[in-house]
Amino acid sequence: MFYRPLMLCGLFLALACGAARAAGDDVPGWLQQAAAAGAPAYDKTVKAVVLHHEQHVAVGADGRVVTTTTYAVRVLTREGREYARAAETYLTDGGKVRELKAWLIRPAGQVRRYGKDETADVAASPDDIYNELRVRLILAQDDAEPGAVFGYQSITEDRSWNSQTGWLFQDELPTRVSRFTLQLPAGWRARGITFNHAPVEPAVSGASYAWELRDLPAVAAEPSSPAWTNIVPRLAVSYFPPEGVSVAGVRPFADWTDVSRWVTELADPQADSNDALATKAMQLTQGAKTELEKIQAVARFVQGIQYISIDLSVGHGGGIRPHAATEVFAKAYGDCKDKANLMRALLRVVGIQSYLVAIYSGDPNYVREEWASPGQFNHCIIAVRVGAETQAPTIVRHPKLGRLLVFDATDPDTPVGDLPHHEQGSLALIVAGADGALLRMPTTPPEANQLERQAEVTLAADGAISATLRERARGQAAAGYRGEFKHLSRPEYQQTIQAWVASGVNGARVTKVEPADEHDEGRFALDIEFSAERYGQLMQDRLLVFKPALVSRREALVLTAAARQHPVVLSPLAYTETVTVKLPAGFEVDELPDAVKLDAPFGSYAATYVVKDGQLQFTRTLVQRAATVPPDQYQSVRGFFERIRAAEQAPVVLARK
Amino acid sequence: MSKLSASALTFGLLVACLLSGLAPAPARASDDKDWRPVDPAELALKAPVVERDADAEVLFWEARVADELQENIESIYPRTVINHYLRIKVFTDRGREAQSKIDIPFTTSVDIKDIAARTIKPDGGIVELAKKDIFERTIIRAGGVKVKAKSFAMPAVEPGAIIEYRWREVRNYNLSFFERLDFQRDIPVQSVTYYVKPLIIPGLGFRMQYFNGRVEQAADKKAGLSFSMRNVPAFHEEPNMPPEYQVRPYMLIFYTADEEVSNADGYWAGFGKRIFDDNKASLKVKDDVRAAAAEAVGDAQTPDEKLARILAYCRAKIKNYLDDASGLTDADREKMKENKSPSDTLKRGAGTGRDIALLFGAMATAAGFDARVARVGDRSQAFFDKRQTNSYFLSSYDIAVKVGDQWRLIDPASAYVPYGMLLWREEGQEALVSDPKAPFFVRAPLSGPDKSVERRTARLRLSDDGTLEGDVRIEYTGHLAMDKKELNDDDSPAQREENLKELVKAQMSTAELTDIKVENVTDPVKPFVYAFHVRVPGYAQRTGKRLFLQPGFFKHGVGALFSATDRRFGVYFHYPWTEADDIQIALPAGFSLDNADQPGPFAAADVSKYDVEIGLSADNRTLVYKRQFVFGSATDVSYFRPEYYVGIKMIFDEMYKRDNHTITLKQDAASAAATPKQ
Repeated sequence: MFYRPLMLCGLFLALACGAARAAGDDVPGWLQQAAAAGAPAYDKTVKAVVLHHEQHVAVGADGRVVTTTTYAVRVLTREGREYARAAETYLTDGGKVRELKAWLIRPAGQVRRYGKDETADVAASPDDIYNELRVRLILAQDDAEPGAVFGYQSITEDRSWNSQTGWLFQDELPTRVSRFTLQLPAGWRARGITFNHAPVEPAVSGASYAWELRDLPAVAAEPSSPAWTNIVPRLAVSYFPPEGVSVAGVRPFADWTDVSRWVTELADPQADSNDALATKAMQLTQGAKTELEKIQAVARFVQGIQYISIDLSVGHGGGIRPHAATEVFAKAYGDCKDKANLMRALLRVVGIQSYLVAIYSGDPNYVREEWASPGQFNHCIIAVRVGAETQAPTIVRHPKLGRLLVFDATDPDTPVGDLPHHEQGSLALIVAGADGALLRMPTTPPEANQLERQAEVTLAADGAISATLRERARGQAAAGYRGEFKHLSRPEYQQTIQAWVASGVNGARVTKVEPADEHDEGRFALDIEFSAERYGQLMQDRLLVFKPALVSRREALVLTAAARQHPVVLSPLAYTETVTVKLPAGFEVDELPDAVKLDAPFGSYAATYVVKDGQLQFTRTLVQRAATVPPDQYQSVRGFFERIRAAEQAPVVLARK
Repeated sequence: MSKLSASALTFGLLVACLLSGLAPAPARASDDKDWRPVDPAELALKAPVVERDADAEVLFWEARVADELQENIESIYPRTVINHYLRIKVFTDRGREAQSKIDIPFTTSVDIKDIAARTIKPDGGIVELAKKDIFERTIIRAGGVKVKAKSFAMPAVEPGAIIEYRWREVRNYNLSFFERLDFQRDIPVQSVTYYVKPLIIPGLGFRMQYFNGRVEQAADKKAGLSFSMRNVPAFHEEPNMPPEYQVRPYMLIFYTADEEVSNADGYWAGFGKRIFDDNKASLKVKDDVRAAAAEAVGDAQTPDEKLARILAYCRAKIKNYLDDASGLTDADREKMKENKSPSDTLKRGAGTGRDIALLFGAMATAAGFDARVARVGDRSQAFFDKRQTNSYFLSSYDIAVKVGDQWRLIDPASAYVPYGMLLWREEGQEALVSDPKAPFFVRAPLSGPDKSVERRTARLRLSDDGTLEGDVRIEYTGHLAMDKKELNDDDSPAQREENLKELVKAQMSTAELTDIKVENVTDPVKPFVYAFHVRVPGYAQRTGKRLFLQPGFFKHGVGALFSATDRRFGVYFHYPWTEADDIQIALPAGFSLDNADQPGPFAAADVSKYDVEIGLSADNRTLVYKRQFVFGSATDVSYFRPEYYVGIKMIFDEMYKRDNHTITLKQDAASAAATPKQ
């Protein structure tokens, strides 16, 4: 019986050889090493773990940049298969992906190789009319399974338009090794800044710099959390040729003024006007009596220009240089920088000076002062120089240029005097040549973004109600309402309002929906009338129970998780509601909910109930301040909103007299 | 469920054309090289004509479709040339936003030529689209296939302007086989006309069929046949609406060798014979299949038992390698060899859905049954009507087995369909059973509401602060179970738990779920089950002396199904179902029932039935809540014409009200005195 162990041993050897042969065939050493390395156990919700992520950027003396990326990820769950993908972007104008190869090592050791035949080349922004940015893609998720390791290696070539680069040490996945290496020509130097992490010092060898982090934990997705670019460690790097050496495309920025000068050079020539544009500017401002009215008239026109993005010559500053204002005016479309630039040209005709403003849209904390770089921005707005007579909450003071009224011409719903929430408080670059500077954008107080609601309700003895609802919004609250009104077709808008009312009052028959947009004043009004049978529940013909909070607030923060990894980010808003309910004859109030009063550093809430002259008056007020509440105070913020939710569910009990 | 492919027919037709020596028709461009004059009335138009509140409206939309033969030095090949022309009036900023950006996608074998566009401003000024402003983009390039687009933005568009554009589309190596020509867009259309010039092909007739609208037909020597509709409203989706192409007006054009498609019986008889012939060899019984059938049947006695066992055998032994839950990767699938017979399928233990169905058919034959391939419609796409003489509408297949004098339809290809049921989209329609001489239709039975049951039980305890806590079990059978299994079978266990948590939290934001079990996810027969422990702080509302409790725990936080007052399309439910709830809630100490009323039952003819019973346990300390809701019947597919919307809405509004019925618990005097004021 001795042959059995021998046979098993032979089988094992055969499998091992097969696996080794398959894996060793053409799988690069770095991938084999990453796949073989152990990894700690992760929570069952973690879908995959990045075993290795490295980027090697070699800058040539001529400014040419060759980037080699190696990446390995182990799939942990069925959902983790989606991470078995390779993606490399490039610009058709001067960039290319020289190589993209990938491998999938299955749990049993077999290897599948991916090359040109399995590579797709896709438009990065398929909705744009034209965009030079493209992506080379290898998708292996349908081949992957839990336990498999996917790896890829890419080489891209590009000509940089500045001398800056960056590195995200991780995405939402836990990461074992993340390394960024910058290889510079002899005599060059580099400087790195770490964000969202203690400073990471590079290992320097000659003109080679390497930054590395290991064993980074998974990043949980949580509602109202900071943007993940403000959570995960990231690196910003600037590099410099030796003093006195000038290299085409290698544009070091000493400070923000330097960045301003460069952007100004690109953008300024585009703001010239012609007769048609000048005539339009005069027409628009003809009836305007004040500086602010002129700005408002021009702003409304530019906001009405259609947003269409056509990005050409991005590798040569085309992503920053607007199209000529005259061209944008003639075609009546353009992107954010085109709109801001057209507004600038129009204002100039009527004698008002203005400046482009580079900003990051979507995260007010993204831009960091310590890294002077145009690469920190993704959006363009405008700052209009105003005199003392012009007053608005969105005026900032520039040390040299004086009072600047900041405005986003791309947001069609936010008028002059207001700024979208996601831009408020952000650092932004005033593009004004040598006078340019990084400024903190204004923030508006909660009261400036208020929603006031008044409801008059008649409650019948059988529980039926008829109600009128008047909503008056301003600031960003109005912008939200305006957006809904402007971007939905009239039937869709009607249905949205009906559905919202019906979510609080079942079977509501909405008989009137009357919106009124006062765009320039930053206000929006909505009047609604509706009725419903049996809103109140009549119990044994004795008690009549109803909730005075008829309809929900449109936006309510719901924090359901028991624990929290990241801070909770709150935007400023204020809300007041007064509901007056005419009580049915023959009933009296038997029980009212307790009044609620909550005070916290990030906001306050109060709900009160008063009965007088056969009427119940219910009021609720919420003031939510702009705040970032740290995770260790999560329970307080969660409890705050939970108590509000509970208070708004509380019923009133009437009893027959 | 395979769909019909036109490629083989196209190739055959091409060969037929080439052999027939037909002189190729010249490829002709549109005759109207210039823009059509703009009627001042169109420019002056201030409001839409077809639909009030429309943001933009198509003034006219024309497409000239011509199938023709193109000759070059080496070959003659067929192609379809379509000249498109649209004129649109813009009324609002929304209309401007939606209509200004034009993308014309096309694939490698298609050419897009002669694009021209212009904007006519409200003052009559014209802004032409410059050629340089037309961009050709490659959207995706992969594996030798390219999807490109010609894209442009209409210049100087503003409310009140008219935009118009036209282009020529050449589909090389193509003929109009089952080409769907839409008459409806996402904005209203004043006038839409297709001019169609088919190719004359010996032995093949050109046919067209219209659906869901009144089409005016005309013939013109120069332009060919024309098909028009006027004043077509925009297409907007509505919740629970019928399949899109059950309501959208469209026309199907195709060539067919069938002599007479207007004779429905004759058409289907011919088609049914072809199905029989195509599958005859695949249903042949060989020894291995016979042996497998004998093993599967075992000691089963009745025909239904035998068939159920063969079905279970096929599902247990044969892996459907195209199923997303098979656990196979694409690499595994590539290694799979094609099964040429049921024996191959049996031997390899893997196959496509069709392979499994044919194996089932062969095994049933081996077991002494008469088994055939049957074709059935897919009512997720359109309701089948045999007067529509077009095999395009019988896109799915099942196996029909004769039991006594009845034909049973069985779907071995779908993993979670219990014996006696079909996928919901195949039920309740006529199915064509193939036959060498006289194919015939049978009605695919519709499973009644008793077959698809959501059975929910909860044993809960209410605290005096309003927190509800306890154990919950939810079982799904029939179509409900199939839906749940399909939704979850490709997920990891952790993801399945997440799916459930999201489901519950969408109803009760404060709910905390623990001890979650998700059972029978990939079991073909057993009910799909959720079991979990739940804690919901603040579930009941507390006032000074009362607690308000919604005993219908499973419907807490579920909104009414329909909110819109008006409706354009009918209401469609995929299948009938039953909800059965059994809830017990232990009441907090010191509280007793203040009101003992319960919502009344209701019934709506044979469409729906609702009943609730609320009571107390013998010791008065536990609230017992039983609810049943039944919707639909085994008689008819649950489709209701638009005029019945009000009634259907009323059913669900009434159900919502009753489900939200609140019980009042009053604090006993002694207990109230001992409770500290909050």
